[in-house]
Amino acid sequence: MTSDLVFQVLASGITNGFVYALVGLGLSVIYRGSNVLNAAQGDFAIVGAMVTVVMLDRAKLPYAVSCVGGIAAGALLGALMERLVVRPMLRRKATDDSMLLATVGLGFLIAAVILVTVGKAPFFLPQFGGEKSVDLGNVTVQRHALILIATAVVVVGALALFYKSTHLGQAMKAASIDPEGATTIGIDVAAMRTATFVLGGVIGSVAGILQTPLIGVSFAMGIAVTLKGVAAAILGGLVNPMGAVAGGLILGIAESAAVLTLSSAYQNIAAMALLIVIMIVMPNGIFAGATRRGG
Amino acid sequence: MVRHRIASIAGVAAWALLPTVLPVHYVDLLVFSAILAIGGLGVGFLLGQAGIINLAQAGFYGIGAYASAYCIVTLHWSAWIGLAVGLAVSAVVAAAIGWPILRLNGHFLALATLALLVIFNALFLEWDWLTGGSLGISGVPKISAFGYALDSPRKFYYFVWPLTVAIFWLVANVTRGRTGLAMRAMRDSPDAARVMAVDSTVLRAKLFVLSALLGSISGTLFAHYVGYISVESFTVERTIFFLLAPVIGGLRNPWAAIPGAIFVALVPEVLSPLGDVYRVLFGLALMLIIMLFPAGLLGRWARSDGAH
Repeated sequence: MTSDLVFQVLASGITNGFVYALVGLGLSVIYRGSNVLNAAQGDFAIVGAMVTVVMLDRAKLPYAVSCVGGIAAGALLGALMERLVVRPMLRRKATDDSMLLATVGLGFLIAAVILVTVGKAPFFLPQFGGEKSVDLGNVTVQRHALILIATAVVVVGALALFYKSTHLGQAMKAASIDPEGATTIGIDVAAMRTATFVLGGVIGSVAGILQTPLIGVSFAMGIAVTLKGVAAAILGGLVNPMGAVAGGLILGIAESAAVLTLSSAYQNIAAMALLIVIMIVMPNGIFAGATRRGG
Repeated sequence: MVRHRIASIAGVAAWALLPTVLPVHYVDLLVFSAILAIGGLGVGFLLGQAGIINLAQAGFYGIGAYASAYCIVTLHWSAWIGLAVGLAVSAVVAAAIGWPILRLNGHFLALATLALLVIFNALFLEWDWLTGGSLGISGVPKISAFGYALDSPRKFYYFVWPLTVAIFWLVANVTRGRTGLAMRAMRDSPDAARVMAVDSTVLRAKLFVLSALLGSISGTLFAHYVGYISVESFTVERTIFFLLAPVIGGLRNPWAAIPGAIFVALVPEVLSPLGDVYRVLFGLALMLIIMLFPAGLLGRWARSDGAH
C-alpha cells in the first residue's frame, strides 16, 4: 500500500467527516434546544438536496438560486415539524420514546413523499468549482471537497457567533437552559423552539446539498445519513454542538482507516461499531470533562 | 363466562373458515401478518414490559432466515436443524452484544440497536459465501408438517397461526409470572427493583435474547414460506414494521401485537392500488397513531390483568 493511497483515502475520509459533522451539528442544535433527538435530521438533508435538484434540473434555475431554495425548504420543513409534530406532542406530555418514534415516523413519511413526487432514481448535483482538482503535495483533492470543508467551517463559525453575539441566539440558548426563567424575562420559549428547528433544518439542508455532488441523493437515504450524524454528535457529546465537528472528523477518519485496512464494505461497519463503543465507554462524548451540560 | 366462551368459539370458527372465503392474496397477507406478529411480539414485550427498544429485530430475522436457507440449500440439512442453527446463532449474538449494550438507556439503546442493524445489513451483503450477497438465496424448500407439504398459502395459514398463538401464549405466560413482575418493576423503578433483588443486568440480557429468538423464528418461517431471501428483506424498513405492529396494537398487552401486525400487513396492501401514494398515506396514518394514540390503537381495551 503506497502512502499516496493512504493520504488519498484519508482526504476523502476528512471530506466525509465534515458532512457528518454538519448533520451531527444540526442534530445537536435541535437536541440542545428542545431535548428531541431528531431521527428525521437525515431527511432534512435529503429534502434540501432534492429541492435543489428539482429547481436546477427541472425548473432550470441558476445553481445558486437552487441552493438557496433547497436551504429555504430545509428551514420550512424544520418549522413545520416543530409546529405540527413536536409542539402538539409536548402539549400532550409525550414521553421521550414516543417523540423519538414520531421523528422516525416523520422520516418514513418524508421519504414516501419524495418517492411519490420525485421518484426512485438517485440524483447528482454538479460539483462546486467545476470538476477541477487541486494538487496538495502527493494528494489530489477535488476542488468541491475543499469548498465543502470551507463551507462547513464557515457554518460552524457562524453558528458559534450566532449563539454568542446575537440577541436571538442568546434568547434561544436561555430558553433551552431554563425555560421558566426565560419566560419570566419575556422570551417566547415556544417560538425559540421553532427557531431551533429552523436552524436545524438549515444546517441539515446545507449538509445534504454539499454531499450530493459526491454521493448523490435518493429518497431512502435519510436514515443512514441520520445515523452517521448521530454518531458524530454523540462522539462529540450530544449537548455540545461544536463537539459534533470533532466527532464527525474522527468518524470520517475511522471509516477511511477501515477502508484501508479491511475493505470499502467495512466503512459503515466501522462507523456503527465506533458509535456503539463510544456510547458505552464515553456516553458524554470525548470532551466530557471540558464542557458543561446545557452550556 | 358463557358469553366469553361463545365468542371464542365463534372466533376460532371464523379463523378456520376465513381462508375458504378469502381470495388467496389475502390469505397470503394473513400468513405474513402471523410472521410479522411473532417478530413484533419480540419487540413489543421487550419495549412494553421492560422498557427496552430493540431496533435490530430485522437483523435477527435475517439471521434466522439465512441460517435456515444456508443449512437446507447449501448443506442439505433438515429444516429442523436450520431452525435450531438460526436460534442458536441469534441467541449467542444477542447475548454477546446485548451484554455490553443493554447497560445503555433510552435514546442511546435505541441508537445502538439501530447501529447493530446497519452492521448486520452490511455483513449480510458482504459475506456472500453465506448469504448469496445481493443475489440472495433461492430455492428454500417448503416445510412439511406430519408428512403434509405446506406448499400453498392456505396450508401454511393453518400451520402458522396455531404456532403463532402458541408462541404468544408462552411469552404471555412469561410476562404474567414472576419474571414479568420483575420486568415491570425494572421498567418503572430500576432502583426499587434492585432493592428487591432483581438482577437487572442478567434479566435484561435474558429478555433481549428471548426477543432475538422470536425474531429468528419469524425469519425461519419467512424463508420457508417465500422460498427466496435477499438483503432487501432485512432492512430498516422491516425493523420499523416489527416495531409498528406492537406499537399500533398497544404496548401494555403483548397479545395486541397480533391485531397490530394484521393492520401493518394489510393496510399498505389495501392502499397499494393507489401506487406509491400508499406509502404517504401509510406514513400519515403512522404519524397520527403515534401522536394521537400514545397507548396504541387498542390501548384502551388492551390492558391485560397482570400488565400494568
